[in-house]
Amino acid sequence: MTMSFKDKFTDVMGAIAEKVDDNKYLNSIKTTFTIYMPFIVIGSFALLFNVILTSDKTGLAKFEPFKFLKVIEPAFTAINFATMNTMALAIVFILGMTLGKRNKQNEIICGLVALMSYITVIPQSIKSVVDGVENLIKGLPASGTDASGLFIGMILTILVIEFFTKLTSIDILKIKMPASVPAAITTSFNTLIPLFITLITVSVLSRIFVNVTGLYLNEAIYKVLQSPLESVFQSPGGILFIVFISQLFWLLGIHGGLIVSPIRNPLAIAALAANIAAVEKGLQPTEPITLGFWVTFVVPGGAGLTLCLVIANLIASKREDHRAISKTALIPGIFGISEPVVFGLPLILNPTFAIPFTLGSVVSTAIALLAVEIGFITPNVVDVPFGVPLGISAFLGFGINGVIVQLIILVVGVLFYLPFVLLSNRQYAKEQLERNE
Amino acid sequence: MKIMLACALGMSTSILVEKMKEEAKKQGKDYKIWAVDQSLIEEELGNFDVLLLGPQIQHTLRKVKKIVGDQARVAVINPVDYGRGDAASILKFAEKLMEEGE
Repeated sequence: MTMSFKDKFTDVMGAIAEKVDDNKYLNSIKTTFTIYMPFIVIGSFALLFNVILTSDKTGLAKFEPFKFLKVIEPAFTAINFATMNTMALAIVFILGMTLGKRNKQNEIICGLVALMSYITVIPQSIKSVVDGVENLIKGLPASGTDASGLFIGMILTILVIEFFTKLTSIDILKIKMPASVPAAITTSFNTLIPLFITLITVSVLSRIFVNVTGLYLNEAIYKVLQSPLESVFQSPGGILFIVFISQLFWLLGIHGGLIVSPIRNPLAIAALAANIAAVEKGLQPTEPITLGFWVTFVVPGGAGLTLCLVIANLIASKREDHRAISKTALIPGIFGISEPVVFGLPLILNPTFAIPFTLGSVVSTAIALLAVEIGFITPNVVDVPFGVPLGISAFLGFGINGVIVQLIILVVGVLFYLPFVLLSNRQYAKEQLERNE
Repeated sequence: MKIMLACALGMSTSILVEKMKEEAKKQGKDYKIWAVDQSLIEEELGNFDVLLLGPQIQHTLRKVKKIVGDQARVAVINPVDYGRGDAASILKFAEKLMEEGE
């Protein structure tokens, strides 16, 4: 007996979702970025405060009575620097802790060994040229600690923690202590040798790499891996594909955003950081796909534009059950929560609504990309977190034009769902007729 | 009984939590009910008797069961109950899980 396409589809997608979630590395990366997310939001809001308050060109400080605000501009810039330009260090530390915990190691030691390893890999001096004389000043350049170090940081941390974990399990490396020595002292000695070996290995190998290639490891990995991935992610083909895959999972009732987040979040955050860096240099931001973009234009009103279905149902549905669920789903939808409709209607494997549910977010993404392309909105520097209601999310990230684009998306979404609501009415009427016969 | 709900970010389940609290109060039952993001389940280990997963993270059930072990009962909420916010039915489900566990 052959499985129906529907069963096969359910099985395959379910298995993929489980694999992604169960994968130690992908899961730890997801957790790491979830932990760091508030700092990204704060960092981008610090920049927003500069733009609207302390800047004497665009902010309130432009006006004489508010000139004093200019004084605190460096304070907001500092917050932005701390959260954006050193994020690779934070990510490496959190990922080291998260992986260490999963490997049943001391978490803080693992966070620290990941951080130290990373610092040995990046340049430890900054070149400065004064009157034609080149000087090397000790310090970490922001180019080594900012978002461009995310991928090398994640790869290195995975290798380092696995290596360290392996070393701690080797008996010869454990220092024998008399039984009378307190356990805490024994443990601290027993991590010493594995730590030493880990750091020496990483540092020596990365030094050899520098000598052979003339590039630091972080620069090389950025060039060959992160930068190409960023380009694909920012291209219409790349992002539309990711949105589509995410919606295929949602069609099964599996949280698609969660599944794609291990690859989406690092790249989206790197894009936001690049936009912020551009604005600080006085340039135009160029990277459209950020988490703010995702919240505002990919999943406004819920993944798959479910709020549009809710509205379409309230306008045209003749089914009492659909109208009832749409009433309860209206308010959550404004906050971007789709679950009441997805599970309550339900939309899971619902053939009537499968087309708009899987393609709605693809269409909305395309509309927003087009708006960026024609210059109607600029890529954002303020990331709005998930859960910010419609309109406000668009305004904070993209200004009044962003609100207009979001509105257009919602209207298009309702028009996209309406024919399928009418189809559902007809199917329902037919069912009722058959039942009465 | 302590009932914890988990989903992505804990947002959609938190809507449900309010409804369940109300329902429990109406039935005169003193339950502690709250929601968390799925990545925080391990941190909460020991704090809950029953863990209910939102259907959108049903694919994590096997992993979560491994994490929780025999420290609590774990199950996925019926999708339609979840979507329609049927607090009474979900409460009954949690109670049944608890009884079976004992």
